[in-house]
Amino acid sequence: MRPALGRHLLIVPLLTVLSVFFVVPYANMVAISLMEASHRAAYVPVFTISNYTSLIESGFTWGVIWHTLWLGALTTAICLLISYPVAWQMARANSRTRAALMILVIAPLLVGVLIRTYGWMILLQDSGIINQLLRAMGFAPLHLMYNDTGVVIGLTHVFIPFMVLPIASTIQSIDPELELAARNLGAGPWRSFRRVVLPLSLPGVMAGTVLVFVLAVSSYVIPQLLGGFTVLTVPVLVIHTISELFNWPGGSAFAVLFFVITALVIWFYLRTIGRVTHAG
Amino acid sequence: MTGIRLDAVTKRFGDAVVVRELTVALQQGELVALLGPSGCGKTTTLRMIAGFEYPTHGSIYLGDRNITTAAPEQRNCGMVFQNYALFPHLTVEQNVAFGLEMRRIPRAETRRRVGEILERMGLAALKHRYPRQISGGQQQRTALARALVTNPGALLLDEPLANLDAALREEMRFYIRSLQQEFRITTLYVTHDQSEALVLADRIAVLMNGVLQQFGTPLDVYHHPQTAAVASFTGLTNLLPACIERRSGDQYLLATRAGPLLAGGPPGLAAGAEVLLSLRPENLQLHPSAVVTDGSGCNRLSGVVRERTFAGSFVDYRVEVAGDVLLRVQAATGVSCQAGETVFVAISPPAAWVVPRGSV
Repeated sequence: MRPALGRHLLIVPLLTVLSVFFVVPYANMVAISLMEASHRAAYVPVFTISNYTSLIESGFTWGVIWHTLWLGALTTAICLLISYPVAWQMARANSRTRAALMILVIAPLLVGVLIRTYGWMILLQDSGIINQLLRAMGFAPLHLMYNDTGVVIGLTHVFIPFMVLPIASTIQSIDPELELAARNLGAGPWRSFRRVVLPLSLPGVMAGTVLVFVLAVSSYVIPQLLGGFTVLTVPVLVIHTISELFNWPGGSAFAVLFFVITALVIWFYLRTIGRVTHAG
Repeated sequence: MTGIRLDAVTKRFGDAVVVRELTVALQQGELVALLGPSGCGKTTTLRMIAGFEYPTHGSIYLGDRNITTAAPEQRNCGMVFQNYALFPHLTVEQNVAFGLEMRRIPRAETRRRVGEILERMGLAALKHRYPRQISGGQQQRTALARALVTNPGALLLDEPLANLDAALREEMRFYIRSLQQEFRITTLYVTHDQSEALVLADRIAVLMNGVLQQFGTPLDVYHHPQTAAVASFTGLTNLLPACIERRSGDQYLLATRAGPLLAGGPPGLAAGAEVLLSLRPENLQLHPSAVVTDGSGCNRLSGVVRERTFAGSFVDYRVEVAGDVLLRVQAATGVSCQAGETVFVAISPPAAWVVPRGSV
């Protein structure tokens, strides 16, 4: 009993931090979302579900939610396509190459999100470096910013490490002899990958895709700066509702609603992938 | 008809020569053990046959087909890996079916062939289990079934018993041998365990530092080793420095520090050559000095018992002869000599074998 108790005590600091900085604010937000809005104070302490009913009844809300989920899914898919080969290389490379790749992959995280995003703006804007080059070569300029393209580029860039690292660590744990065994049994390189490495790396893919999706749908700075006001996502709209319209209950309700929807999406996703894995 | 043939195969990794000019031919249906200490190049040789490595020079043939540069999936060599390399996400049945699916065998036939071999290997009851849910011996049999079900042109086994406990290892030797006989499949069996090689193989190829030392039947390799290294690697032996006096019939008369001795050996050794005399401990007889034997055909060395260890089926003696040479003698428990006793060690000439003096 005693050692077990001692072990349990080890998680107390984290539990404290989580309750103070996570559970309490969220509980508070849920509470606020059930209060009446007011122009004189953050909220009026009168219980109502009107914040939710007006959200759910508004087509605009669902449009923004749908668009946010779509941008998140697109970012996740592109991240996965770019990251999987890198992760595979990283897992199968010698330690020196692996270290070099690791630094390259993590590099985007070494620069703060604002600076990195301004960097993208310099590259992507209509008079930016890419368009100057295109013009110099005689091509028509591309609209790469203040639209979905810009947002997806920015999000993909920053979230690649969150996709690469879990996938690489899963692939690294797959015995390379399994690939040789598959080849020995008559599978070419592609089939040995598809039948052996890919299914065994799915846990890493699951971790990476969920991480990137959650981070992408909840990011604020990148959609705000690279999307301008043409790309409306839930976080952008929540912050706008709270800080511009001073509608704390409305913003809170929107955040809570979106939290529930995201959780459902991820639950469905994990369940589907889980079924596929067990069937294969 | 040859099953597998290696023709002057050399493999270099950078500056290191791992396999040097290896030429070996396995007959169709023959089981050859590739025996050697770790790092001798035996696993590299196997991987070159499987196609996981390519030779720097030389050619590899499977039957009449030159497979030197063929991709692994085009070789049709079944392989059993040391750690079995079973697919952890597939059941026993799916593991065994994998090779047939890759060959696009019709589903009904796949099912039939997988069912048959699972039955033959005693795995039918486990076919829906995953590899992690079965024992080491069962994993071993699954790996064998997976390799054999495709009717490969040859079977490659990489230290297949190394991960099993001693009792099971003993049992699996006979199992693998009878399976190989049943399938009449040309088999290359890589091992560092000489007793495994002696028990299992039709012929043994002894590889050391990438060089083939000897290729012959277990009897031949054990009793007539061609180098001192082979003599000491294939079993316990005493190596006694000696000098050839002359050839007498099919034997050599040798001068040793312990006196003149008669011994067998490869033909062609010149008088005056410095050699080593290999004496297997179990081929030496120990006689108390009081017992007078007629000594005909027997070489006798006089010595003193320094140590006596009971080892179950025999007694292990260390006998000092010629002042400073310690001989190990393993005698039946019936003979009993005590430490400190003066004894005769009797060596029948066929049991003594001359090997060239070289690096051990």
